[in-house]
Amino acid sequence: MIELKELTKRYPGTETPAVDRLTMEIPRGEIVVFVGPSGCGKTTSLKMINRIIEPTSGQIILDGEDVTDVNPDQLRRRIGYVIQQIGLFPHVTIEDNVATVPNLLGWDRDRTKARVDELLDVVGLDPDVYRNRYPKELSGGQRQRVGVARALAADPPVLLMDEPFGAIDPITRTRLQNEFLRLQQELKKTICFVTHDIDEAIKMGDRIAILQERSIPAQFATPEEILTQPANDFVADFVGSGSTLKRLKLTRVRDVTITTDALLGRIDEDKHVLRQRLQESDWTAMLLLDDERRPARWLRAPDFLHDRPVAEMGLPARAMIEPQATLSDALEEMLLGSAGVAIVVDGRGAFQGILDVDDIITSIQTMRDANAEFYRASKLIDPATAIA
Amino acid sequence: MAFLEYLADPSTQRSLLEQSGEHLFLTLVPVAIAIVLGVGLGIWAHRVPALSRTIVGATSTVLTIPSLALFAIFVPLVGIGNTAPMIALTLYALLPIVRNTVSGLYSVDNAVVESAKGMGMGATKRLLKIELPNAWPVMLAGIRVATLLTIGIAAIAVLAGGDGLGTEIFRGLRRIGSAGAFESLLGGTLAVVVLALLIDLAYLAIGRLTIPRGIRE
Repeated sequence: MIELKELTKRYPGTETPAVDRLTMEIPRGEIVVFVGPSGCGKTTSLKMINRIIEPTSGQIILDGEDVTDVNPDQLRRRIGYVIQQIGLFPHVTIEDNVATVPNLLGWDRDRTKARVDELLDVVGLDPDVYRNRYPKELSGGQRQRVGVARALAADPPVLLMDEPFGAIDPITRTRLQNEFLRLQQELKKTICFVTHDIDEAIKMGDRIAILQERSIPAQFATPEEILTQPANDFVADFVGSGSTLKRLKLTRVRDVTITTDALLGRIDEDKHVLRQRLQESDWTAMLLLDDERRPARWLRAPDFLHDRPVAEMGLPARAMIEPQATLSDALEEMLLGSAGVAIVVDGRGAFQGILDVDDIITSIQTMRDANAEFYRASKLIDPATAIA
Repeated sequence: MAFLEYLADPSTQRSLLEQSGEHLFLTLVPVAIAIVLGVGLGIWAHRVPALSRTIVGATSTVLTIPSLALFAIFVPLVGIGNTAPMIALTLYALLPIVRNTVSGLYSVDNAVVESAKGMGMGATKRLLKIELPNAWPVMLAGIRVATLLTIGIAAIAVLAGGDGLGTEIFRGLRRIGSAGAFESLLGGTLAVVVLALLIDLAYLAIGRLTIPRGIRE
């Protein structure tokens, strides 16, 4: 757990402090997102936690220990740090990059090597392929994966992330966000995350601190509360319109009921067996899985008219999402894909179920009902209406 | 044809070879000293930006002093011989090394340095393991320029009582018009050029060997 007490940063020669008496608790195992307009002091606030920026006054308490005055280098080895520009060391290999903190801590060679391989695996990079590569040989998304692996190397309980996915193209960003959320479910790190993007804040945060100038929190609450009960006009403005659409970003695929009994076939099965099974079912299409249960192709009855091998029949299976993806991601995938459904797969790409547009509409209706309920309730106590 | 005969003469070969060795010594010792001083000054200038202008300014001023004058200044202090030229050459070699150390260190991505800091790497380790290796290609280019510059200027060390290939060149200059003078002049000059080319090749090899693969062009 991180506690910030009256944390203040005043730059010499300026009248107003950049961060003014920020007091906040970041609960253990949660992601707290600092979000606000540029220049609000959110990054300064974050960088005071690992004292890249030294606070002028106030206290930082990490797991009950006041770390405001401890040796900053020792402190930073206990805190993972990921920044937007990533900052991989260009002159050493991916392996050496990830091994930075273990090397500083003096781990022995075998332990470090094993840990590096484990972490590259965790962030989805094959150690045998990437271990000896250099940062310039990687794409932006891959570099940020290495950045995350490097921050996790010595298993620090706390992570600070400054716009970690800010400089990455939108599609890769969504994927990295989802992967990171999946990772966090296992790791349960205490994370402080800075972004200027409210949508990202809603998606990533267990709690969101909407910061105004001088890093003064306008509201510190769960994403649901911020969307449904903005504390003031500043928050309402910042969150913006389209709150139902935004709430699609709050609900995750794993939270809604998905179709798990879809009609399945294996890509190595006999064509006639598959055809018979499709004809006998109520389904209009059948999903073929490969030998690792990864979705491969969609088959419909007319596809059997062409004389082709099973592996080339029908359409390739697209629009695959993981359970921690949001309904908004799923909807986007559906619109991009041709089948009108999204296939839910686990981290290894194995089939879990199917999500279609109807499932999402049901979910939106539930939200709308809840919203209507909320507005009705607030009308009842609105004095203006009471007088009328 | 006379030049080929001059080159074929074993005594010419012996003296050119000997003078090339002296020339190399006259160059490499000042460059080595200038590397130690220049890298140190460069790091200092990068750390204390207020000093940066003064340090780079002072080393540039040295380069504006005509070389003959600079050689001569030190003669009353240390006498005739190789010492005065070597001090002057050290001063000349300083500017490219200092300037490229400073700009090399500035060229290291801030995010790289910040992430090193954020992971708890102390200032000294950061300098040795992150900043200098990444600044090295630019620094090496400065050292190379300093060396080539020094090889050229070292040819006039002979006027301050030094040795090196200047000896052969000035032997030719003094006797210009008489037989064999032109050959000496040409022979000495060509030897300097060949030496410079060989040194340049050596730097290419040094670059290959010392610039980390991840930041090679």
